[in-house]
Amino acid sequence: MAAVDVTTGILLSEAVLASEWFGVLMAFVAINTIMYTALAVAKSLPKVHVGDYLPRRAYRSETRSIHPDAPA
Amino acid sequence: MTATPTQTRGEVSPSRLRRGLLRLGGLLQRAVGLVVLGTAVFASLLLLVLANTDAEPRFGRPARRATVGLWEVFYDTEAPSMRVVLAAVAVALLLAAGVAWLEQRIAIRYRRSFDPIATPLAPRVVMGETRGVFAGPVTVTVLIPAHNEEVRIRATLQSLLAQSVPPQRIIVVADNCTDDTVAIAQSAGVEVFPTVGNRDKKAGALNQALAELLPEQGENDMVMVMDADTVLQPGFLETAMRKATDDRALMAVGALFYGEEGHGLLGMFQRNEYTRYARDIRRRRGRVYVLTGTASMFRPRALRTVAGSRGTLLPGRPGDVYDTAALTEDNELTIALKSLGALMASPSDCMVVTEVMPTWRALWKQRLRWQRGALENLGAYGITPQTARYWSQQFAIAYGAIALLTYLMLIVLMVLALDLWIWFPFWIGVGLVFVAERIVSVWQGGWGPRVLAASLFPELLFALYLNVIFVKGVLDISLRRRAAWGHVPATAPPGQA
Repeated sequence: MAAVDVTTGILLSEAVLASEWFGVLMAFVAINTIMYTALAVAKSLPKVHVGDYLPRRAYRSETRSIHPDAPA
Repeated sequence: MTATPTQTRGEVSPSRLRRGLLRLGGLLQRAVGLVVLGTAVFASLLLLVLANTDAEPRFGRPARRATVGLWEVFYDTEAPSMRVVLAAVAVALLLAAGVAWLEQRIAIRYRRSFDPIATPLAPRVVMGETRGVFAGPVTVTVLIPAHNEEVRIRATLQSLLAQSVPPQRIIVVADNCTDDTVAIAQSAGVEVFPTVGNRDKKAGALNQALAELLPEQGENDMVMVMDADTVLQPGFLETAMRKATDDRALMAVGALFYGEEGHGLLGMFQRNEYTRYARDIRRRRGRVYVLTGTASMFRPRALRTVAGSRGTLLPGRPGDVYDTAALTEDNELTIALKSLGALMASPSDCMVVTEVMPTWRALWKQRLRWQRGALENLGAYGITPQTARYWSQQFAIAYGAIALLTYLMLIVLMVLALDLWIWFPFWIGVGLVFVAERIVSVWQGGWGPRVLAASLFPELLFALYLNVIFVKGVLDISLRRRAAWGHVPATAPPGQA
């Protein structure tokens, strides 16, 4: 394993990559990429509905059916 | 200008004040796009400043070389510090959770509210007004607004007639048709309602039909509005009717929509979008973003109340169900109903398959209308609890546009400035995790969509195309360019061409 010197690019000078503004752009993109990836992970995992696991009280005091005599 | 006798110097007359307010309102409506985009740019600049303090020259050191079999590869182990990674993850998840929490709080607040004046469609108000009365079983009347839909309307009608519980009435609202739409409808044995002198497109056509229909409808005589380019999936009506029977406070039932087959890669891009959207709604357990114009069912009370609230609680012309000024009348009606406290749901069994745009040009027109319509609706309603979620979605689109653009810029710059390919193991790992979500979210679409999702960049470029449309929409609103509805001439659905 050895270090390699990369000096010339296809179109731009490699100095562009060492400039300060490119460092800022890289950091900006890096943070965004991590944020979007975190959201992607959250969206690919099965969604947990916390309320399902909590004890529920019977909150319906009357039927919501269009039939007035239907059970609540 | 002369002052009225009672007016002293420096006072403002009510009419002048009103004119001033209207002008301010108009200005705000024009500025809606800039507010959204400006906020996203501000957030980006804030992050850039933060990034600046954390930035260090990343390419000061040379890449490493390794040999993999016969290949020589160059790699760079550059990775952000753990502190930065954790902070970014925390911010993203907190933001997402915050928006979800806020939306839920607001929904619960309206579900429990009892204010017949401000929220006449809130469940408690409706329950109180319908308590102990049986207004008859649930029936369905379907309205299909159609403007020259001879190519597609047959399939739409067939899908309705083939439902396990067919609708009681089907009415094709023929709007300035010059083709065989009316003849096809008549031969299928359904009713036809021709519009008279309508210049307000779909919204105007539906308003005319609803003005005649609504006064006859009882409490449980549901009205379904569906597009003529859309096909209902089996079981739709049965499920929607059951929901309407079980909950008399339920004011509307929406649909999950999927894209029809065909139209190559462009079609697949759109299908993947729709699949992901439907998956989102399923994961939200049917909580509605938009009661889609492709097919949604309403309780007549909801539509009557909207019509009666326009000009006071809601924007629009008094007496109109649909706001004819809105480019996206379905989105506007959804916000109108939510503003009045209405309960709505999009059950997972209520599915439709709808047209996808056959060309990039047609897609441009459709999305420009959607995007502009969504922003204009927000401008018309302002920032209210019920629109908070929609505002956050627009901010997310704007910020996403900036994030995607800078991401692609960075890659292009690196490709152009390096003469050899360097691998970044950390970022490859991150990319793979990201791609996994893209694949998982279209999994049910089959192998084609999965492969497209796995290749990532085509979909990113498609997203870029939609982002350009977003920016164009913002510019058009701000510069007050005339909006076009952009009717796309129907193309034959696959298998019928």
